[in-house]
Amino acid sequence: MTPADPLLEPDEQAGAGEGPRRRFMLDDQGFDEVPKKYRRFYRRWKGEGDALGPNEALCPVCKVVVRSTRELRPGDRVYCMACMTRLLIVRSAAGHLEARVVY
Amino acid sequence: MAQEPLDVHALEPDAFREKVQSFDFWFDSVQGYLDGLEHGHRPDTPEVALAEPERDRLVTTLCNYCVGETAALEGAGGLIQIAPNRPSKIFLATQTVDEGRHLEVLSWRLRELGVADPEAEIEARASRSLLEFKRKLLALVRGRDWLAAVFAQNVILEAMEFSVFQLHAQSADPRTREVLAGIIKDERRHIGFGENELGRRLREMPLLRERLTAVREELDPLVLRSFEEAMDSIGTPREERPELGRSYLQAVERLGFV
Repeated sequence: MTPADPLLEPDEQAGAGEGPRRRFMLDDQGFDEVPKKYRRFYRRWKGEGDALGPNEALCPVCKVVVRSTRELRPGDRVYCMACMTRLLIVRSAAGHLEARVVY
Repeated sequence: MAQEPLDVHALEPDAFREKVQSFDFWFDSVQGYLDGLEHGHRPDTPEVALAEPERDRLVTTLCNYCVGETAALEGAGGLIQIAPNRPSKIFLATQTVDEGRHLEVLSWRLRELGVADPEAEIEARASRSLLEFKRKLLALVRGRDWLAAVFAQNVILEAMEFSVFQLHAQSADPRTREVLAGIIKDERRHIGFGENELGRRLREMPLLRERLTAVREELDPLVLRSFEEAMDSIGTPREERPELGRSYLQAVERLGFV
């Protein structure tokens, strides 16, 4: 499966039953482990009680929160720059969105 | 040359991989969290006086971190020669520098704690199982066994260090905590490189799994013993220890080793 490119997929092409994707302005939350221009795409995970936003996914490798300018949906590709990992957004058996590693 | 997209997630996978394994990326990344530090911590971070038994346990712990970091330094340096492609060689060069820095800041921390001769102290307090792990890791590197050596170093050793340092940082004195925090940030890249490299190769050559399973069976007992020894010296309660190995177990599970 080729993951969708979130920049190239138009909002209007959302799947059946799904509305247009919400967009998000990302601010720099002080994640200093990647070069400055990429910092807004990441933030630290605060542990089990840290609720992820609809545009966020937890990297399963290094436990950093990966952020997107758009609401994430199954099939989206995101990258964790902190551990250099490519991730695919999937719906878990429990119905939540989660990131899986793509090697 | 195509302009880089504004959204990092829009990069093509090959372009992403080349970028994050580059020297430029490494340099821009580490500048963000190492700039202004002295011996791995902020110059004005206070030194908290420790009771002698606590100081002694910390010295033992740091000595063993030095053993692990020396293994990683020698391992990463040796792996450059046998890495299969240019981006991997460049990445390993950056990892080698990271490991050298770790060894240096940990040695400095020992000096700050009053250890006059860190080399002699490390030798005297080194864990036998960690030394054995180091010996086996370097034998894999010398044998030019790329995948087994990457598995041993960047998955097993780095995952252990990542977990132990994270746990230790939560209860450490301020200076030690800052030193460990800087190391943890480097370790994220190292574990990611190992898991991704192995994941790709296992996908292409599933028969390698059998070979790596044998490596794991040989090294796991040494790693688990080292975990236990580290936990003893940090003073981690036994009930919290299973949690510690979780990130390592999750990594090997993702790679298909159960």
